[in-house]
Amino acid sequence: MVTRLCGHAMEIDAGGRTVLIGGACRDCGNRAFPRAEVCCACMSEDIAAEPMPRSGTLYAFSTVHVASKKWKKPMRVGYVDLPNGVRVFSHLEGELAIGDLMEAGLGIVGEDENGPIESFVFRKAAK
Amino acid sequence: MTGVSVVGVGMIPFGKYPEKNIADLGWPAVKAAIKDAGIEPKRIQAAYSGTARGGAMVGQRILGRLGLAGMPVVNVENACSSSSSALRQAVIAVQSGAYDIVLVIGVEKLSKFGGGTLPLDEDDWEVRLGLSMPALYAMRAQRYMHDYGVKLEQLARVSVKNRRNGALNPDAQMRKEVTVDEVLSSRMIADPFTLLQCCPTGDGAAAIILASNTAAHKIRRDPIHVRASHLTSGKFMAGFRDMTSPEITVRGAHECFEEAGLGPNDIDVAEVHDAFSIAELLYYEAFGFCPRGEGAALLESGATCLGGRIPINPSGGLLAKGHPVGATGAAQVVEIVRQLRGEAGPRQVEGAKVGLTHATGGGISGFDHGACSIHVFQR
Repeated sequence: MVTRLCGHAMEIDAGGRTVLIGGACRDCGNRAFPRAEVCCACMSEDIAAEPMPRSGTLYAFSTVHVASKKWKKPMRVGYVDLPNGVRVFSHLEGELAIGDLMEAGLGIVGEDENGPIESFVFRKAAK
Repeated sequence: MTGVSVVGVGMIPFGKYPEKNIADLGWPAVKAAIKDAGIEPKRIQAAYSGTARGGAMVGQRILGRLGLAGMPVVNVENACSSSSSALRQAVIAVQSGAYDIVLVIGVEKLSKFGGGTLPLDEDDWEVRLGLSMPALYAMRAQRYMHDYGVKLEQLARVSVKNRRNGALNPDAQMRKEVTVDEVLSSRMIADPFTLLQCCPTGDGAAAIILASNTAAHKIRRDPIHVRASHLTSGKFMAGFRDMTSPEITVRGAHECFEEAGLGPNDIDVAEVHDAFSIAELLYYEAFGFCPRGEGAALLESGATCLGGRIPINPSGGLLAKGHPVGATGAAQVVEIVRQLRGEAGPRQVEGAKVGLTHATGGGISGFDHGACSIHVFQR
């Protein structure tokens, strides 16, 4: 699945779950999200698409009231730290606290002239 | 290496000038700096002009107005560090012996965007997903408050102090003092920041004239020596980074102090990049004015207020003086030079001999910030 906002950076797997697709360098093992054409650690261009872990820890977040017209406001955004060492900037939903275990899903984060804007969204993981 | 000094400074009051274009904003600052230096304008051999959003050929457009074009003009873009980066290039040029007298310009017109947050480049992944400067600094603040138990009232006191200083500065955009309650009850922008914890949108220009020390001492009896001039870029990190400690400024401060042969205790006055309330606390710590986690306590002790041990942002800083992005670095130098000359009037830091300026910015994915430029001046 290719959303207008996220392009090839996410997929919906056979079980209907949202999976972020990052990159893993075949030469040095460095990981990044989203996948880049060149490795920022060793300049290799041999980078495999790699599904990222679906859950991680909320590092920091803010509820934002002033932003471009297209975003649904107030919007909650933050950084989620994945267990593979990658940090992901994401829209968030729900009542949250730093340190919460978060899980990737799909959500509508805004609307523009082409309709609703869909994105991966992290929510508090079910216990 | 030739030593370099500041021999002239000038600026226009920061504010909103919707009817003026970028050249209209810039030329009066340049003329004021030339008048302050008391030199024949034709003695300026090269110009370095910084703007983030002013467009192409801004230096030429400004100098054309004054009949000063025809010399080498370099236009510099480095986000909030644009004119401080231009200053760095100008210092290198004089140090190298290429020129004796050069001009630095910083100019910006943000009122053309009609308000709201600073527009960022949507080619950037996180910006595309909705990251803005208030949101970025807000996340730093949230994590800092979480890690160090800092309260909203303590953040608000940064704005209270800087607005108090700004009230004493005729060049400041915001000249009204505010209380902690007023700061906290202003409208929410990005939690925990209310409006009065965010620098205002505005327009402005500032200019600096540099000379080799040999030339400087013939121009005036009180040139301000450039003790250190430093520029660096952020390090790209795809993984985790500590948002409570600004990597680029910590590194820049360390390198700059090493170059100057000075430490944080040698600084009498500083202008640091307080784009949002939290930023000033982070920079107290990054420069070593206090240990990690003690920024709010340092502020509450009064040490960074006028009359304190190390007054920070006597001009009002970005929060009160304003932050026309590309003009900020040069305007910080205007303030520090006035402080070191003893010309700062009611906001004068008594006996200030060594001053520091710090402009950092550029919100891009994977970086603490894109650029950071620090300068140390001495009378």
